[in-house]
Amino acid sequence: MKPLDWAVLLGTLAFIVGYGVWKTRGIKNVGTYMRGGSDSKWYTIGLSIMATQASAITFLSTPGQGFEDGLGFVQFYFGVPLAMVILSATIVPIYYRTRVYTAYEYLEQRFDLKTRQLTALIFLLQRGLGAGISIYAPAIILSTVLGWPLTITNLAIGALVIVYTVSGGTRAVNQTQQYQMLVMLGGMAMAFGFVFSKLPEAVTFGDAVGVAGVFGKMKLVDFSPALNTRYTIWSGLTGGTFVALAYFGTDQSQVQRYLSGESLTQSRLGLLFNGLLKVPMQLMILFVGVLVFVFFQFEAPPVIFNSTELNRVAASSAAPRMTALQAEYDSVFAQKSALVTEWVSARHANDASKREVTEGALRAAEIKGKAIRSKARALVAEVNPRASSNDTDYVFLSFVMNHFPTGLVGLLLAVILCAAMSATASALNALGTTSLVDFYRRSWKPDVDNDSALRVTKGFTVLWGLVAVGFAIFAAQLDNLIQAVNILGSIFYGPMLGVFLVGFFFKSIRGTPVFWSTLLSQALVIAVFASSDIGFLWYNVIGCGAVVVLAFGLNAVMPQAKAGDAAR
Amino acid sequence: MAPEEDRPPFFKTWSGAYALVLGWLVVCMVVFAIISRVYA
Repeated sequence: MKPLDWAVLLGTLAFIVGYGVWKTRGIKNVGTYMRGGSDSKWYTIGLSIMATQASAITFLSTPGQGFEDGLGFVQFYFGVPLAMVILSATIVPIYYRTRVYTAYEYLEQRFDLKTRQLTALIFLLQRGLGAGISIYAPAIILSTVLGWPLTITNLAIGALVIVYTVSGGTRAVNQTQQYQMLVMLGGMAMAFGFVFSKLPEAVTFGDAVGVAGVFGKMKLVDFSPALNTRYTIWSGLTGGTFVALAYFGTDQSQVQRYLSGESLTQSRLGLLFNGLLKVPMQLMILFVGVLVFVFFQFEAPPVIFNSTELNRVAASSAAPRMTALQAEYDSVFAQKSALVTEWVSARHANDASKREVTEGALRAAEIKGKAIRSKARALVAEVNPRASSNDTDYVFLSFVMNHFPTGLVGLLLAVILCAAMSATASALNALGTTSLVDFYRRSWKPDVDNDSALRVTKGFTVLWGLVAVGFAIFAAQLDNLIQAVNILGSIFYGPMLGVFLVGFFFKSIRGTPVFWSTLLSQALVIAVFASSDIGFLWYNVIGCGAVVVLAFGLNAVMPQAKAGDAAR
Repeated sequence: MAPEEDRPPFFKTWSGAYALVLGWLVVCMVVFAIISRVYA
């Protein structure tokens, strides 16, 4: 990294952290600390919601997924606009009417304390781990790029986020996220333009899309009904909607963003703004990965993108085998590159038959290349069994470091860090608030005064920050990062959504049946995860459906408590 | 909440704003399906 890159990176981070601390200094009221003063406009809410969801993983794994599997992952986000409309029309007005601080508070009003605290506990566990992954993802990159020890990098990122989240609470999180989101969108738009500009002059945008299409990267929509195909239009519209409903409707890190709105109108508009922008934004990020793939049809790619592991192999006795694999890969690349150039010429000359012949040869060469890459990955695992088995997370970073101009490298690293900070800040803010509202103030010290409550919330936020950093340090062995987060979310989100759906729409069902159906459904989802290969998006449908069905069944067979159903 | 406070801009009711978002999703899916077919 050059001095200009450092200046851009540190300048961006210093501005955002400094701004967050300065703008929200002197908050004395615990209500303002948790709800941000209830004065956020729709654009702040919308950008804040987007920034909360867009973690560093989004900017590392997603281009990698575009590079490896094409644009099909965008189908996962088809559920977001649907969920935004459903939430705006149903759940958000209820939260406003009941004037809750946390989503789980509503569940006590509707059911009982044990259901409220069970869901709050599931949230604390899941989001606490999720926050750890949000810190770990950029930490591993920075440690690879800068050569810092991974543990110290985890600690440094965690400390930076804890500083402004603890200092200014929800308002600091919302204010900083606006700017973080602008840096992310601007940075990715520049990356998109730059990757395209790196293609050979003779290659037009249409050619690039065509080349991607030859390799199956332009398959945006898959109508296959197979349940074990991870991303299809059906899993996106059903599972994707369920996961988005659960995430945006019941995850306090998101609920807290739109409950900070000036009015119900502003909150609804913020959610709809996210519904409009989410699909195009994800498409752009995936497309950057596809363009990187096209770029590597004209420029020789490394057989392994994770330079740290590659260097480890180079220093071991397996080095000659890796050199041989790279040579083999280079020869396949030379063959492929000539074929791609031929294909582009045939496209310009409108020669359909030549294109068809070339396409067949290109696909055969691609299969050969993939086989070599998988042998290289096996070699990496042989030298270091603890190495990440998924090389795709390193594709984009490796491209940025080796091909981006000075200044843009710093900006892209700032994008990744902004994303990490924004996602983690929302999580810590929500974890601190839930710990205070749903446990400390509710069960342990109901008469706590304002000053003590503010101190305790800040204490909980620091504590969760430390838990997240601790988990980040142990997260080093997870497979593809974005999928780990989504799988983790899908295991917990289905039952969580089920509880809220029963609460909102089935008024005859009581608390105790819901409580037990939640526990049983959670066990069912974990059993399905452990014993089948069903695509993880379906866990949301299974978990949610199981809670609703079991709650109806248990409600019919369990005796009704005499004085209400509350178990305190 | 006073009624004038809870109304989306450009639309008389929220149904219009919801239709805009859902319509946008449908447009995206149709365009994506066409792209997938063209480059299949």
